[in-house]
Amino acid sequence: MLIIKNLHAEVEEKEILKGIDLSVNAGEVHAIMGPNGSGKSSLASVLAGRKNFHVTRGEVIFKGKNLLDSAPEDRAREGLFLAFQYPMEIPGVSNINFLKTAIAEIRAHRNLPPLEAKEFLRMSREKQKLVEFDAQLVNRSLNEGFSGGEKKRNEIFQLAMLEPELAILDETDSGLDIDALRIVSKGVNKLRSDKNAFIIITHYQRLLEYIVPDYVHVLYDGRIVKSGTKELAMELEEKGYDWLKEEARGKETRERATI
Amino acid sequence: MVQEPAIPLYEEVVDGFNKLLSGPTAAVAGPRAESNSLRRAREAAFGRFRERGFPSIKDEDWRYTQIARFLKDKYDLSGTFDQDQSALADKAEIPSLDSYRIVLVNGTWQRNASRGVPPSGLLLLTTAEAKQDPVFAHYFEQRTGDHHFTALNAALFTDGIFIRVDANAVPDRPLHIVHVYTADRNLLVQPRHVVIVNRNAALTVIESVVSGSPPDGPRILVNSVAEIMVEQDAQLEHILIQTAGQSTRLIQHTTVRQKRQSLYNNFTVTLPGSELVRNELHVRMEEEYSESHLYGLYLTGGRQLVDNHTLVDHQKPSCQSNELYKGVLLDQSTGIFNGKIYVHKDAQKTNAFQQNNNLVIGDKATIDSKPQLEIFADDVKCSHGSTVGQFSEEALFYLRSRGIGEQTAKGLLINAFAFDVTEKIRTPALRSHINHLIGDHIPAVNS
Amino acid sequence: MPNDNEIIDNIANKEYEFGFVTDIEMDTAPVGLDESTIRYISEKKNEPEWLLNWRLKGFQAFQREKLPEWQNFPMPSIDFQKISYYAAPKSKKKYDSLDQVDPELLATFEKLGIPLSEQKTLAGVAVDVVFDSISVKTTYKEKLAELGIIFCSFGEAVQEHPELVQKYLGSVVPYSDNIFAALNAAVFSDGSFVYIPKGVRCPMELSTYFRINTENTGQFERTLIIADEGSYVSYLEGCTAPMRDENQLHAAVVELIALGNAEIKYSTVQNWYPGDKEGKGGIYNFVTKRGICKGDHGKISWTQVETGSSITWKYPSVILQGDHSTGEFYSVAVTRNRQIADTGTKMHHIGRNTRSRIISKGISAGHGNNSYRGLVQIGPKADEARNFTQCDSLLIGDQCGAHTFPYIESKNNSATVEHEATTSKIGEDQIFYLNQRGIDSEKAVALIINGYAREVLNQLPMEFAVEAQKLLSITLEGSVG
Repeated sequence: MLIIKNLHAEVEEKEILKGIDLSVNAGEVHAIMGPNGSGKSSLASVLAGRKNFHVTRGEVIFKGKNLLDSAPEDRAREGLFLAFQYPMEIPGVSNINFLKTAIAEIRAHRNLPPLEAKEFLRMSREKQKLVEFDAQLVNRSLNEGFSGGEKKRNEIFQLAMLEPELAILDETDSGLDIDALRIVSKGVNKLRSDKNAFIIITHYQRLLEYIVPDYVHVLYDGRIVKSGTKELAMELEEKGYDWLKEEARGKETRERATI
Repeated sequence: MVQEPAIPLYEEVVDGFNKLLSGPTAAVAGPRAESNSLRRAREAAFGRFRERGFPSIKDEDWRYTQIARFLKDKYDLSGTFDQDQSALADKAEIPSLDSYRIVLVNGTWQRNASRGVPPSGLLLLTTAEAKQDPVFAHYFEQRTGDHHFTALNAALFTDGIFIRVDANAVPDRPLHIVHVYTADRNLLVQPRHVVIVNRNAALTVIESVVSGSPPDGPRILVNSVAEIMVEQDAQLEHILIQTAGQSTRLIQHTTVRQKRQSLYNNFTVTLPGSELVRNELHVRMEEEYSESHLYGLYLTGGRQLVDNHTLVDHQKPSCQSNELYKGVLLDQSTGIFNGKIYVHKDAQKTNAFQQNNNLVIGDKATIDSKPQLEIFADDVKCSHGSTVGQFSEEALFYLRSRGIGEQTAKGLLINAFAFDVTEKIRTPALRSHINHLIGDHIPAVNS
Repeated sequence: MPNDNEIIDNIANKEYEFGFVTDIEMDTAPVGLDESTIRYISEKKNEPEWLLNWRLKGFQAFQREKLPEWQNFPMPSIDFQKISYYAAPKSKKKYDSLDQVDPELLATFEKLGIPLSEQKTLAGVAVDVVFDSISVKTTYKEKLAELGIIFCSFGEAVQEHPELVQKYLGSVVPYSDNIFAALNAAVFSDGSFVYIPKGVRCPMELSTYFRINTENTGQFERTLIIADEGSYVSYLEGCTAPMRDENQLHAAVVELIALGNAEIKYSTVQNWYPGDKEGKGGIYNFVTKRGICKGDHGKISWTQVETGSSITWKYPSVILQGDHSTGEFYSVAVTRNRQIADTGTKMHHIGRNTRSRIISKGISAGHGNNSYRGLVQIGPKADEARNFTQCDSLLIGDQCGAHTFPYIESKNNSATVEHEATTSKIGEDQIFYLNQRGIDSEKAVALIINGYAREVLNQLPMEFAVEAQKLLSITLEGSVG
């Protein structure tokens, strides 16, 4: 579904991704872990097409097509979803009108007929229940005055409504208390299927106890320095990131020595 | 320094006024049988106008609006009005609004075009009738403003509407006044309106301004003055929707006088169309505990110039005012905001807030904003703010990342920007009407 | 605890502590203004032909121009023929060593807290001292010269660096700018001149101290500061005048030129005689100050603490011509008694990515009137220009006024402008809180005022921040109950 090859990217002339390789297939859950500043969120931003993130080398293929050439909305319409680390508050845009608009445009893109108002309502109710999202919040302005947990739950509610093929969760667990974390994870688990895939970006192993990944990758200094299965996450929880940093630095020194 | 060109209209109105005074073949409609005192008031006003002439950009209140270029055309001051244009009022239709609608064509009430049930407790007269009634005549002799255009209007006003709400009356539906401006030749129209809301009464007035002439058709210069009196404990909700076409040039002055514990709410909504819109709104809080909320929304397009001048005059203690004007500037249009809050020495415990926000979209669009505070009392809370900016890149990205196209996303954000004003409109039918009007000029907003 | 009236009387009665007169023999031009006055000044100063011609052009402009009417106070009638346009202490023009300085003059500056002896001066501050029309002493001149920095009186600069003066004089404030600038161009007597060479960071604060002493004189100094590419300078001016019943005119011009990557920080502590409590006497302070960021990445920052003068009319401005250039304006203005201040700034954004920041704090007491007047102008080419303005007014008593006249003009759809203004009085609960902690009301007010002005005071060089803070406290102490 997603193939990332030797991806390099920079922000304000500073290189933040230094050659990422990653393959994600339908039905898989990949966790990307790493210390602060390792490039985790930058990877999410590059995939979603955020301005100011410039790809300098490499390619990203999503569903057989070059992802990097298309506008953020086209990526979304093709089925890529980013759950933001810091969801925007947009006063004056109602949550529901926003979702209606998004679904209408996504469906138009896929040559599907517009969703009947009734059908939309039914779906909205169903998904609200699925992710335990307060109906009151649905009718308010987009994220305006929402607590941190409510914002994150709204991201998962949108995920449920838009039914993407690839969902990237950018530190969705940060700032969540244990109950909110459980609700969010339950929602994600219910949405998992063999047709979609998840990339879960997180700093802590905690979330992965709820959403069990098939693969775990460790990002450090703009590169994936180690990949493994969920056991790797356990190991990281135990030992922290320092041993990997050491390892990475050692590797770099050796590489330099061989040149 | 810009050299001010000579203004032919000046000579024309001077000439017109002399004719008016010189007797029966009056050049301006309906001044016959006016009382001597009204006649003296007209003369005094004309004296003030002659002294000042038309404003130039050297006048502080006109520094951003070069009015001279709109006065170059030759305007007809006299002549019959086209009586058969009331059908144009349908342009101002507000779907599913239950109201009593009246229509004024070029300032003259077309009684046959009224629609709906006149609410009880409401007296409606034409200005021509009211000014001859000794009970009401003094309202037309008042010295509203000493400014160029208000003085000219006071000297030469023709007709208009006179509205009075009886004490304690609360009409059960809004009064919808549709102003139609249309002409087969360039016209200067000078209506004068009076609204009196008596003690403990409440009224909602919706004014729509529409026009008939095609964009390149004859020009109509409207110099309109309204005087509003909100008596003790009375409430007036006043909504003005300007959707007239390009060939209209609107100069509208409104003075509101508020008595003890009264409430006045104003919404001024201007949409692309009229090449010149100058709104002057002066709210004078003459007695304690009065309250006022002024909301403005200007969506400007083409080469339009929309100038909103407001004055909130806190004369007495313990009054509150709150003002929010929001502008969206498209194309090559120009927006001007000038808001003054004046707090007199006596007006302790005043709360006065003012905010002007502008979203500049057109790459040749211009905004000039001049919020202004003049405070002479110390125990007050006053603030103002003004911003000029664009879409938040982050908000735009968020919407796009959900599959919403750039144009639609911008439309949503413009609506969201206007929302702070539109959400304050209490009548749902009216609120949705205004949202649709905005949507008509912003692609893909009405979903 | 004193009641409001006592307190307000108290502020009104506060004495001006620098109001004494120095008895010294002066060389004074006869009262009046015509072409011969200008020739007299030019000749006294042994000026080259081009400068005389420039002055004469200024005089012509002065005769053409009218007094401005847009300010928020009635312009007083000023009889320009009743002013003497030149007054200098007799004896030597410039003192080479302190021994030659008239002891009376030395004593004057000691009293003002501006010792002329380098041993006694504030460490790290070089001072040019202007007494009436003439610069009497510049300290640390030689030390600065070692770095190639020129810091001298304007008169000396004309003699010794005519090429620099000729190149930049009037390039930011032309002689025809306004009537007071035109008058200054015609009759300016002295002032300071600074040139910082490429890449040099001026190691000490440069400072000019102005003192009006003689009766019936006006003060018309001119300051020109040029910061060459990549250089930095911080400059401060201070001023006082004797108490007199008649009004004296101060019409100065300051021009700042920051070339690419250069930074100029200009601070003013203005304490001219403000007049008495009935509004009699005091200095009319009509000053034109403007800087230009000519090259990219330049920065000009104005800081002013305005407590003196009966009328202040000044708008230190920045023309942001170079891309990525920055303009700042920080101001505290206090008016009491019958004082009037109409002050603010203009930020002209011309280049791309230009930034400006305006922080203005007005304090009105007694019958004082304080107006902020500011212009933020974004030109069509100023892509991504940014401005932030915060403009607060504090009223003390119900006889004073606070006014805000900001003008925002934007012709660029990528610009962001933010203006905020508030008006309030000192909170009684704030004072109560401090009272409860054992601080009396007078000190509480001083604390609150200083807190209110902190953002501006922080911009001052440290040595002067302390002085300015004291000045504010003295000016307004015990002002609220």
